[in-house]
Amino acid sequence: MSADAPAGAAYLDAVTSPRIDPRIAQAMAAFVGTDPSSPSALHEWAIPAAEALARAREEVAALIGADDPDAIIFVSSATEARTLAVTGLHRANRALGAGVVSTTIEHAAVRGAVWGLERSGADVRELGVDGDGLLDPDDVERAVGPDTALLTVHHGHEDIGVVQDVARIVAAARRARPDVRVHVDAGASAGLAPIDVAASGCDALSIGGPPLGAPPWCGALWVRPGARLQPMIVGGTQELGKRAGPECLPGIAALGAAAAIVRTDAPARQRALADLGEELTRRLLEVPEVVLNGPRTGRLPGNVHVAARGVDGESLAAALAARGVAVAPGSACTQDAGKESPALVAIGRDRDWTRSSVLFSLDDQVTEREIAVATAVFAEEVSRLRALAPDAERARR
Amino acid sequence: MRLVDALGTRCPVPVTLTAREAARAESGDLIEVLADDPMVLVDLPAWCFEHGHALVSIESDADELRAVVRVA
Repeated sequence: MSADAPAGAAYLDAVTSPRIDPRIAQAMAAFVGTDPSSPSALHEWAIPAAEALARAREEVAALIGADDPDAIIFVSSATEARTLAVTGLHRANRALGAGVVSTTIEHAAVRGAVWGLERSGADVRELGVDGDGLLDPDDVERAVGPDTALLTVHHGHEDIGVVQDVARIVAAARRARPDVRVHVDAGASAGLAPIDVAASGCDALSIGGPPLGAPPWCGALWVRPGARLQPMIVGGTQELGKRAGPECLPGIAALGAAAAIVRTDAPARQRALADLGEELTRRLLEVPEVVLNGPRTGRLPGNVHVAARGVDGESLAAALAARGVAVAPGSACTQDAGKESPALVAIGRDRDWTRSSVLFSLDDQVTEREIAVATAVFAEEVSRLRALAPDAERARR
Repeated sequence: MRLVDALGTRCPVPVTLTAREAARAESGDLIEVLADDPMVLVDLPAWCFEHGHALVSIESDADELRAVVRVA
């Protein structure tokens, strides 16, 4: 395979934003035209929007095994869902105690919301993970105490791809305290790995667009009726008062359409992404001194997070982009600030590796040719960037 | 029992949400309303009276209140 890739040769950045299925685009397009689209109005112009809103709520609820579509709160993104879940559950359940239990590798939105609670007086405890990023349910059972109001854990990890055994984690938390509120962050995984709110026993679940094949600017939060939630945006009755403000119909319609598509063919979709991800992993690991972060199995399908020793991850992502290969830096929020990836530190990677990662993530339209192009360009750019800093490279050896 | 979690919302939103739930309920259904705006202590009884619903109970402490409404 020639590595002379034209611009736009390979798109492997689904975690940032996948390419959109035409059926999802069509659902969105109904609400970006010239017609008015407020579902709350009393006149007939509101009917298509109201119907689309109800349909999307039913589809998203069905995707995650929720009985009550009204328990779905549509929001602007997975980030907003995570923030609303963590902040809103804790504030509404202060009577349960001040304690919050989380992990060292939660998404930045969860960690930020937990930090906000801590500054308001919450007693926060972060649990570590093993070398693959897996959380031990026994640690959860030991950490949750009589003062713990909230446990927040992820389902599938956005960066290193590890998928947690959520049902075991929730069960462990409930053994320690039956009424502890449990938020599961599936913002990077609902649609890519099976998740069922009834089976898991959680109280809230965050959902994002990209793992479903929808744009990143849509999301949802499921909250178990009775779990109690304080809204963050108030002043209206939209989303049952838990997220006031006019609904963003294009995003909601996209999320609903994506949920319907994924739900009808989830196992085949997940298998196809896993197979292509495994092929990508195999090729990338043929490059010298490249390692996979997170587990080889039991990870999100299509998520391949690798580190190349001696190469700055952001420089590598930029070099790949310059040659038409779209990937994400391994931990965009921290590498911009020149800091190490918290997840890589948490799984025990040393400094030779924690700044040198990139994330390949596959959407439903990815082709074998794109994978071949991406891996060829990756091998060349890793070699080129290492050659640019030979002294540093030798010093590491 | 049906549930309206109106925590964190200010009147008239708690009453509006209760009215919306009542519209979907059967006659005789009970609706539990959780709220933390003290105005609910005034607005909810008034709304019940106006629409013929029965206010079964309403309790409040410093932080929040819980009411039960029987739908007409």
